[in-house]
Amino acid sequence: MSELRRRDLLRGLATAGLGAAAGAAGGWGVAQLTDVDPDPPAAAGIEPVDPHGRHQAGIVRPGTPQPHGLLAVLDLAGTPDRTSLVRLTRDLGERISALTGAASGDAVAAAQSEAGLFDGAGDLTVTVGLGPRLVSAIDPSLPGSEDLPEFASDAGLALERRGGDLLLAGYGSDPNATASAVTWLAASIAGARIRWSQRLFRGPSQGTITRNPLGFHDGVIVPRTETELNEHVWLPEGPLAGGAVCVIRRLRLDTSRFHGASRTEQEAVIGRRRADGAPLSGGGQRDEVDLLAKTPEGEYLTPARSHARAAHPSFTGSNLMLRRGYSFDDGTLPDGTRDAGLMFVCFQRELRTFVQTQHRLDETDDLMGFTTATASGTFLILPGFSRNRPLGAALS
Amino acid sequence: MTLALATLLLAGCSSPAEPPVADAPSVVQVPADAPTISEAVDLVAEGGMVLVSPGTYEEEVTIDKAGVTLRGLDRNETVIDGGGTRAFGVFASADGVRIENLTVHSTLFYGVLVTGMHDENGPLAHGGPGYTELDPSEFPPVERFSIDHVTAYNNGLYGIYAFNARHGQIVDSYASGSADSGFYVGQCEECDILVARNVAERNAIGFENANASDSVTIAGNRFAGNRVGMTLVSNYQEAFTPQRENLVVGNLIAGNENGESPAHALGAFGIGLALNGGQRNTVLSNRIEGNPTAGVLLSNAEDIPSLANEFRLNQLSANGLDAADISASRAPSEGNCFADNTASTSSPAELVSTTCPAEGATSGGGTLPELTVPRGLSFLDIPPPPAQPQLADLESAPDRLPDALPAVAADEYPLPAVDLLADRAAVT
Ligand code: HEM
Repeated sequence: MSELRRRDLLRGLATAGLGAAAGAAGGWGVAQLTDVDPDPPAAAGIEPVDPHGRHQAGIVRPGTPQPHGLLAVLDLAGTPDRTSLVRLTRDLGERISALTGAASGDAVAAAQSEAGLFDGAGDLTVTVGLGPRLVSAIDPSLPGSEDLPEFASDAGLALERRGGDLLLAGYGSDPNATASAVTWLAASIAGARIRWSQRLFRGPSQGTITRNPLGFHDGVIVPRTETELNEHVWLPEGPLAGGAVCVIRRLRLDTSRFHGASRTEQEAVIGRRRADGAPLSGGGQRDEVDLLAKTPEGEYLTPARSHARAAHPSFTGSNLMLRRGYSFDDGTLPDGTRDAGLMFVCFQRELRTFVQTQHRLDETDDLMGFTTATASGTFLILPGFSRNRPLGAALS
Repeated sequence: MTLALATLLLAGCSSPAEPPVADAPSVVQVPADAPTISEAVDLVAEGGMVLVSPGTYEEEVTIDKAGVTLRGLDRNETVIDGGGTRAFGVFASADGVRIENLTVHSTLFYGVLVTGMHDENGPLAHGGPGYTELDPSEFPPVERFSIDHVTAYNNGLYGIYAFNARHGQIVDSYASGSADSGFYVGQCEECDILVARNVAERNAIGFENANASDSVTIAGNRFAGNRVGMTLVSNYQEAFTPQRENLVVGNLIAGNENGESPAHALGAFGIGLALNGGQRNTVLSNRIEGNPTAGVLLSNAEDIPSLANEFRLNQLSANGLDAADISASRAPSEGNCFADNTASTSSPAELVSTTCPAEGATSGGGTLPELTVPRGLSFLDIPPPPAQPQLADLESAPDRLPDALPAVAADEYPLPAVDLLADRAAVT
C-alpha cells in the first residue's frame, strides 16, 4: 500500500471514530478522541499490519520485522481456570484489534488514545504467548505445557528471569509508541505484573536477514515459504493449529572480545563470511552450509565448532526453527560488563527442536563462549484470531 | 569425435529403458569387447559378467543392471583412477551386483558405493542433508551385493560404502587413505550384512556403521593404524536411528594413532572402538590394544544414549584407557556391561567392572587422556597400499547371490592374534 493510501485509511478511521464519538458523548469526548493526529509525520513507507489471520502477527507478518520492539514477560496472580483464561485472552485480542485499527472506529480511536498511540498504530504488531504454568493447568498434554530444561548455559541465570506466564511481544517502527502499546496492554490485564521487559532494536533488514550485534548476517536459514512454515513452525493439528511454540533467550554477548578477534577467527566461530554471509563451504548469502565438504586434509570447511554446524537441525533430527531475533542494549553494568546482545526469539512446532539444539550448542559451539544467558522462557503462541474467532478461542 | 561421443551418450541413456536384448553377451571383456568399463556394463546381459584387463581406467562406472559381476583380472593392476576429480569409482544401484578383484583410488567421495539412495543423476548420499528428511520408503534398498577382494585407497570420503543396501557382504577387501572411513555401512534395517576379513589402515576412521541395524556382523577384520579403528553410531542425518544389534567379533582394533592419514573432522584420535548412541550391540573376542585415548569409548549421539551393549571376552590392554564413557548427562548411557575381558583401566573407574547383565546401571561423565593430535595429510598424499592377494578363481561365472547370507557362527572368529592379516597391511 502506498503511503498516501495508508494515510487516507488512517484518516478515514480516525474521522469515523470522531463522528461516532461526537454523536455519543458530545463536545468533551470529541476533544479527548481527537488526541490521535489524523495526519501523523514520519510515516513514509510504513504499512499497517493486519492483526487478524490464521496466525498472529509479529511472526511472519510483516515479512521484514519492524525495527523496534518491546518484549514483556508477565506473571498472573493465582492460576486462572479455563473460563477466565479464555476471557483474558479474548479481551487481550480485542484490545490488540482496537489498537491496530481492526475494530470499529470509536474503539480504535479510544484504544489508541488511551495507549498513547497519538500518531496511530503505524505498523504495530503485538504477539501473545502463554507460559507453561498456565497451559499445563488447562491440559498438560497441550503443546506449550512443557517448560525448558536447565541448560549448561543457564548457570548464573537468575530465577526471576526464567519462565513467566504471559508473553507480550510488540514490534513497530516507532519505538516509544510500541513500548506504550505493550505497557498499556499489560496494565489492562487484571492481576498481571510485568516480571521483566526489554526494549529491542534491529538494523536495516532485507526480509528476515539483518546484521546481528556481532556484525554477521542473521536470519538467513529460516523457513520462508508456506510449505516450509507448515512443515517446521506451525502447530499442524488440533485446536491450536496455526499456533507455535516460542522460545526467548536474552543472550548477553561479549562483543568486545568477539570484535577483537581477527576476521578469520570470527568467521570460523560463525561458519559464514562476515562480508556477505555466504557459507565458508562456498556459495552465496542465501545458500546452505555444506556440512560434509572437507579440505583434502580432512578438516570441515564449515568448521567443527562453528555455530552454523552446531545449530544445524540435521544433527538433532529437528525441524528448522524460525529465528526472529533483535538486538538489545541496556548500557554498562556497575562492574563494567556491557549488558547488550541478542534477544534470541524462535518459533517451532515442538519444544524439542530448541531444546536439543541448545544442548548441542552448549557442547559443540564456540559461539557459546561469547554468550551469557540472562533471561529465558518458552511460550505457547496462540493461533491467530479475527473478529469472529477471539484470541484464545482454541482453549475453550 | 564429438559426434561419436554424442551417439554413445544417447546409447548409454536409452539402454536401461529398453527391454533386455535376448542376445546380449553374458561375458564382456574390457578392452577387447568394449573400450571402457561403462560401455561394457551397457553391453553385458543382465546377470552377466564384465572382465577387466589390467590397465588404468579413468571413469565413473555405474552399474544399474541386475546381477552383473564386475571383476578385475588383476586386483592390483586393474585400476579405476578418480584423478582427484571424479565423484566415485564404481556405483551399483541394481540388485545382485558383485564387484571383485580390482582397485579404485583418488575419487572425491566414494571408491565403491552400493546404494538405493539415488536419482537419475547418481547417488544422493552426498551433498548435504538439507532440511526436509528424505523418505526412505521412496528409496527401496539395494538387495544382495558382494564386494570381494577390492582395494580402495585415497578416496575423499569413503573407500567402500554400502548405504541403504541389504543382504550383502564386504569381504577380503582393503581400504586406506579415506578422509572419512575406509569402510562404511549405513542406513538399513534387517540389513543382513557381513563385513569380514578386511584391512583398514591410514584412514580417519577404519570402519563406520551409522544406523545399520540387526544382523550386521563385523568379523575378523584388521582395523589398525587409523585415527579411529571403528565406530557404531546413531546419526539423525540418516534414517533408522538408533543404531543397534550388531555383532562385532574377532577383530583386531589396534594402534589407532596413525598421523599418516587424513584428519578426523571432529578431531578424534587414538580410539579403538567408539559407540556413539549405539544400542544392544555384542562385542565379542576382539583384540583392542594400543589405542592411546581409549580402547572402547561410549558416548551419546545428541539425545540418543548408548544402551545395553555387551562386551565379552575381549582382550583390552595398553590403551590410554581400556574403556571410557563420556556420555553427557542429557543422555546418560545405560545397561552397558563388561564380562570376562582383560580390561583394567576405565573412566568412570567402575565402568569395566559393570558385570552383565547391567540393567538400569547408568553411566557417563568420564574423562579422556589429553593427546596431541597430529595434523591431517591430504587424502591424495597417503602412500599407496602394498600389493593385495587375488581372488582365487578369475574364470568361472559366479552363482546368483543368495537372498540371505549364511549364518555366521561366532566361533568362526576367535580372539585374533596381533598379526591378524598383517601380510596385507602397511602399518604393522
Ligand atoms: C548467541 C547468540 C547467537 C548469535 C549471534 C547467532 C547468530 C547466528 C548466525 C550469524 C547464523 C548464520 C546465519 C543464519 O542462518 O541466520 C545463525 C544460524 C543459526 N542459528 Fe544462531 N545465533 C545465536 C544463538 C542461537 C541459538 C541460541 C540457537 C538455537 C538454540 C540458534 C540457532 C541457529 C540456527 C538453527 C541457525 C541456522 C543453521 C543452519 O541451518 O544453517 N542460534 N545464528
